[in-house]
Amino acid sequence: MERREEVSRRPWYQEYLKGLWEENPIFRMLLGMCPTLAVTTSALNGLSMGLATTFVLTSTSLVVSIIRKLVPGQVRIATFTVIIATFVTVADLFLKAKFPAISKALGPYVPLIVVNCFILGRQEVFASKNPTGRSILDALGVGSGFIFALTLLGSIRELLGSGEVFGHEVIPGWHPWVVMILPAGAFLTLGFLVAAMNAIERTK
Amino acid sequence: MEGRLVVAVSPHIRAEMDTRKVMMGVLISLVPGIVAGVWFFRWHALVLLASCLAGTLSAEASACILRKKPSTLGDLSAAVTGVLLAMVLPPTLPFWAAFLGGVVAVGVGKQVFGGLGQNIFNPALVGRAFLMAAFPVLMTTWVAPGPEAVTVATPLALMKFDHKATPLLDLLVGKVGGCMGETSALALLIGGLFLVLKGYADWRIPLSYLGTVAVLGAIPWAFRPDLYPSPMFHLLAGGLMLGAWFMATDPVTTPVTKVGRYMFGIGAGVLVVVIRLWGGLPEGVMYSILLMNAVTPLIDRYTVPVPFGGKR
Amino acid sequence: MSVSARMMLVLTVVGVFSGLSLVYMDKYAEPYIALHKKEAVREAIDKVLPGVDKVEEVHRDETVIYRALDSSGKLLGYAFLAEGPGYQGKIQLMVGVAPDLRRLTGMEVLESVETPGLGAKITESSFEEQFRGLEAVPAVGYVKAGRKPAPNEITAITGATISSASVVRIVNEGLNEVRRVVRAGPPDCETEATIKWKGGKK
Repeated sequence: MERREEVSRRPWYQEYLKGLWEENPIFRMLLGMCPTLAVTTSALNGLSMGLATTFVLTSTSLVVSIIRKLVPGQVRIATFTVIIATFVTVADLFLKAKFPAISKALGPYVPLIVVNCFILGRQEVFASKNPTGRSILDALGVGSGFIFALTLLGSIRELLGSGEVFGHEVIPGWHPWVVMILPAGAFLTLGFLVAAMNAIERTK
Repeated sequence: MEGRLVVAVSPHIRAEMDTRKVMMGVLISLVPGIVAGVWFFRWHALVLLASCLAGTLSAEASACILRKKPSTLGDLSAAVTGVLLAMVLPPTLPFWAAFLGGVVAVGVGKQVFGGLGQNIFNPALVGRAFLMAAFPVLMTTWVAPGPEAVTVATPLALMKFDHKATPLLDLLVGKVGGCMGETSALALLIGGLFLVLKGYADWRIPLSYLGTVAVLGAIPWAFRPDLYPSPMFHLLAGGLMLGAWFMATDPVTTPVTKVGRYMFGIGAGVLVVVIRLWGGLPEGVMYSILLMNAVTPLIDRYTVPVPFGGKR
Repeated sequence: MSVSARMMLVLTVVGVFSGLSLVYMDKYAEPYIALHKKEAVREAIDKVLPGVDKVEEVHRDETVIYRALDSSGKLLGYAFLAEGPGYQGKIQLMVGVAPDLRRLTGMEVLESVETPGLGAKITESSFEEQFRGLEAVPAVGYVKAGRKPAPNEITAITGATISSASVVRIVNEGLNEVRRVVRAGPPDCETEATIKWKGGKK
């Protein structure tokens, strides 16, 4: 029942770069929409969510790629899930202990990283089939793509919703568009961003 | 060669009516309402109209350029959206907010779906819903008609929160607080009748919509006239007249079949009464039409006529 | 080794490691979390009862009341946590009241999920400041914007009457509870813990 190794043959730097654009979890694969839409009310929230998720993703990929040959195929999902859940809880407790303000702003969405589908997805399609070095690069790449997407989304929503980015006033005297901080603003912004990314992709 | 011999595929019988003519008819039928709005709210109304039109027309033009399509400004649909949007906004709304509403109405409400005929929701109401969510305070600040522009509550808000009725004659003429083009029920009625009599809109929707509101509104009123507004009040107050004649009749976002149109009107009527009497908001016309827009494809699916010899 | 034995072994080992690391992490984080919670309470008391130096926690049944003393040991007033439903979800407040329980000294919103731009304005100081020195007898009330409030009334936020009214209702309910507890007997005998106030934090 040994799972076949499908080692990726890309040049090593491509393992990282592909997560930023061509396999960007948000703009290209549209995975992990729950945190994307829920917590990006400000640039800081988006960035911290991205960092927390990247931590969980990279740690899980590291562990999974190390033990990939030991885990029987039948229980791989259960094993991956336990590992993900452990790192999520670690991240949650760490944020609560060291960054209570961020933890409060992200609310229940830190524990919910556990159900973020692209974390399990990266284990299934990559870390469980590739050596540790490549798996970490892959996880960091996808994580960076997620951070980029969430911070961009958060910055736009914060800018239009309050005239600020990362809490710094950018447009003085801006009349806030309340809708951008509400869920509807998340859907609108994401829609326009994906459209823009598709337009850029098409011109290539 | 030109025009001598036309070779075309079917249909060969063509009506004289095209989009531009229908839109022109709608614009003409809106004139009484606009005149009343300008009369009551003076330059506020004119600024509002100009900003909304600038928003919708520029969004239409830029969407056509972005999509590399020929300009569709000539079909006047963007102009109709702009005028309708201006009529459902508070007169004192800042010009930039009205402009933004126009851009959202045509950009998000219509063009992202692929332009006229493809949109799910009434574009003017999408613009209004966006502004309502974006600027809740600006969108609920009302002024009394006249040169002074004193802040007042709308008749529906007075009814809902203070149980104070407004004289029906004021509602009919439009000498009350409210959106720029919704206050004068009489002017809108004249325009609406013109629209229906000329065949630009189907009478079934306004009839079933207004009828449902009147009948449902009458039931609680019959039991507790001190607590609930009369059916006449329901019909004349708020944006019902404007919504029923000019927005619920939008051919793109309403059912195509006759039965479906009755269902649309009845559904929207029920929603208005429910929201007005038991909801958190004083007025429900916008959401009633938007919600019924959303179920229109479903209504169409279940009311599609069976072709001769066909099977269900 | 058979497949099922390997399955069990792998899952057991992963589970044990996971459990151990969580226990370790929890041990590490717990004191910090408790500290943050205490600090949040202290800061809130500081805001609703200015000039506070020492705080005593009074427990009775389910209720916790904070007795606030100034540097000379004189009773400044009481502070208490009150919570209840708002427009969209739970609102939690810290309320300060004078020793006679007839006048509020301040109010601070600790948690709320009201609509941004409307109900969320209850967390702004312009709204919270209205509670400073507000008469609480017969009960706190509110008026809509544009009308003149009585000494026991606040002005509701335009377009967010429900959120404003919820705050008023939560304050009143909490105040009744505090009155019941304080009048039931000398609270000192119920004191369980005394938080030493570290002055000069601000």
